Amino acid sequence: MSERVFSVILLPTSDCNVACDYCFEHKEPHRLSLVLLPLLTRRLLDHLENEQIEECEIYWQGGEAMIMGPAWFEKAGEMMNRAAAERGRRFVHYLQTNLIGYSPAWNGVIHKMFSGSVGTSMDYPNLHRKLFKGGAAAYTELWTRRLREAKAAGIAIGVIAVLHRASLEAGPERFYRYFTEELGLTDFQVNTPFPGGPAKEVEGGFQLDSSSLAEFMVGLFDLWITEGYSSGVSVGPFDALIDHFTGEQARLPCIWKENCSNQFISVDAKGTVAQCDCWVTSYPEYFFGNVFRESDLTRMLKTSRARRDFVERPKHLVEDEDCLSCRYLSICHGGCPVRTYSALGTMMAKDPYCEVYKAVFACAEAHAGEILRARAAPVISLRLAHEAGVSATG
Amino acid sequence: MPEEAIAPLRILPSALAETCGDLPFVAIVRNREELFRWLGGPFPGLRWLQVEGMLGDSEAWAEAAHDKSHIPFDVVLSDPASEFSDLYRLVDASAERDIRVTMPAGPGLSKAVRLASALGFPVRVLPGQPMTGALSELREILEFYLHEPMVEAPIEFLHSFLASMEGGYTGSLWVILEEDPDTFHRCDANGRAWVPRSCDSSYVESVSPGFVEKRLKSLIAQGGECASCPWQQPCRGYFKWPDPTYSCEGIKELFSSIQTAGNEIRKELASFAAAEAGIISDPDEGGKR
Repeated sequence: MSERVFSVILLPTSDCNVACDYCFEHKEPHRLSLVLLPLLTRRLLDHLENEQIEECEIYWQGGEAMIMGPAWFEKAGEMMNRAAAERGRRFVHYLQTNLIGYSPAWNGVIHKMFSGSVGTSMDYPNLHRKLFKGGAAAYTELWTRRLREAKAAGIAIGVIAVLHRASLEAGPERFYRYFTEELGLTDFQVNTPFPGGPAKEVEGGFQLDSSSLAEFMVGLFDLWITEGYSSGVSVGPFDALIDHFTGEQARLPCIWKENCSNQFISVDAKGTVAQCDCWVTSYPEYFFGNVFRESDLTRMLKTSRARRDFVERPKHLVEDEDCLSCRYLSICHGGCPVRTYSALGTMMAKDPYCEVYKAVFACAEAHAGEILRARAAPVISLRLAHEAGVSATG
Repeated sequence: MPEEAIAPLRILPSALAETCGDLPFVAIVRNREELFRWLGGPFPGLRWLQVEGMLGDSEAWAEAAHDKSHIPFDVVLSDPASEFSDLYRLVDASAERDIRVTMPAGPGLSKAVRLASALGFPVRVLPGQPMTGALSELREILEFYLHEPMVEAPIEFLHSFLASMEGGYTGSLWVILEEDPDTFHRCDANGRAWVPRSCDSSYVESVSPGFVEKRLKSLIAQGGECASCPWQQPCRGYFKWPDPTYSCEGIKELFSSIQTAGNEIRKELASFAAAEAGIISDPDEGGKR
């Protein structure tokens, strides 16, 4: 059996209960029915069997996944896990939610199906995540209350923050303190923005100047190393980069995989299969197929012309871009296809945030060097102290 | 008691390899049929597959990614300049097996080595008797190998040659590059033994035991470069084959650079060891020495 893990970003609905400015998804009312879920499960298990993969990670997100309700998830989880066990496979479930719909009714299923943890999102400052009524301030107030309730119920929370212009203006220190001190979080991740989906003025406005973004990211990295690294605060992707550069096993984010196409797919409520949630909700021209209409997911992935572009992309980048001469090729491979596509209209180019990534990689490399030197430092510093003592008395 | 002789590893075309049974061997495959025949094993004697001329076949690699036999691949590039970017096709297959990449020193070498390293593949560079362009590529990959912190997998022959200077490995270049006929017994399609790089029929020789040492002895007796070469021990006349008149000047410069790097490493290790020893020993006593 392969040790490879296959991941599915599963969107049980594209519907959402909030109105964020920069959302790239088509908000459709479709919901994955419990009648169709066994078919989807069978397709996934067939694929795992074909690929001899034992474990499949299911990342439930939306739209807003909690719209489906806790009872739906309880039934869905039980059905999927039972079907997997019957075929000697295993699903591991993760939930990404905006938390707005959270209530204590979720606690049971979160602890049972999602191992007591959920992922959510919040920005600092929050200007763009909005409720339909009440706007961003009301969103922040409600989300913060839900966060505290969930934490009080013993749920571990990881937060994804998308940077925008006001984040850069606020600066890394205020940003970091908001998450660690005001919210009391020990695990959050910083994402670069991208104008996914159909072009809209506000989405275009989310593209940030690379040098300002790089400066912010490096500042945040420095601050985390000083204050968070040794005290149990995890900030992605910095923590994974430090692991990588200190020679530890690292799980780098998907945007830096040598080829994301064989590691995960996304499936929406209608059965549409694409590379990831960004593609499945935004770019029909890059759909791989439909898992309810095609009986063999493995064959779909093998024969999809759209998918071939993902497979061939890194090859093009080392031929046509300057990636081959980059010292960070081994951890970047040209960056994220969807970030590239949404900015340039083609994925056969390197990620527009190349300069940002390079700055972050260089920062990680420098910090990792210091960490490694510090590990050896007791030997060296004692020796130097000893030599200084000898010369003083000699 | 006489020492038990270690059987040489036979490296031979797919069709011939089928007769090897339990004896250790490497099968050379050149098309999908041959590749998947061996992946369908089990073949107890099979050590790895030498895959030639197939890097461009994306469907074959997609298939190979699904194979769970874990048989290692040595994927041979014949023209690194045109083939280097196809190395990405090996990524999925490498999740299930060890993959090494072998390529000749020539145009595109540094590109292929860079990408292979970025993908984490060990590399075997076959230098042959490199002329100006190839020497320049070799110097470039030496610089990359020595100073690029992202390099994690060995780049042969540089890696073992550096190790040999540190006493870490004493085999000759012939062994490092798997070209010593005593250790690696290669056969052509007709089952005739041959020495690598002697592909021109005029160079085909009957391979007698001790080929490398006999040839070195002969080169020294003729008073050639090898007689006074400081790299004679690890090289054993590798670069004088097949053309004994090849000038080793460029290669010696390369070896010299490797030695300089080796000296720097040794010095830094000694300095670190001294620092550690200073801690372990009694500080006062240490200070009076």
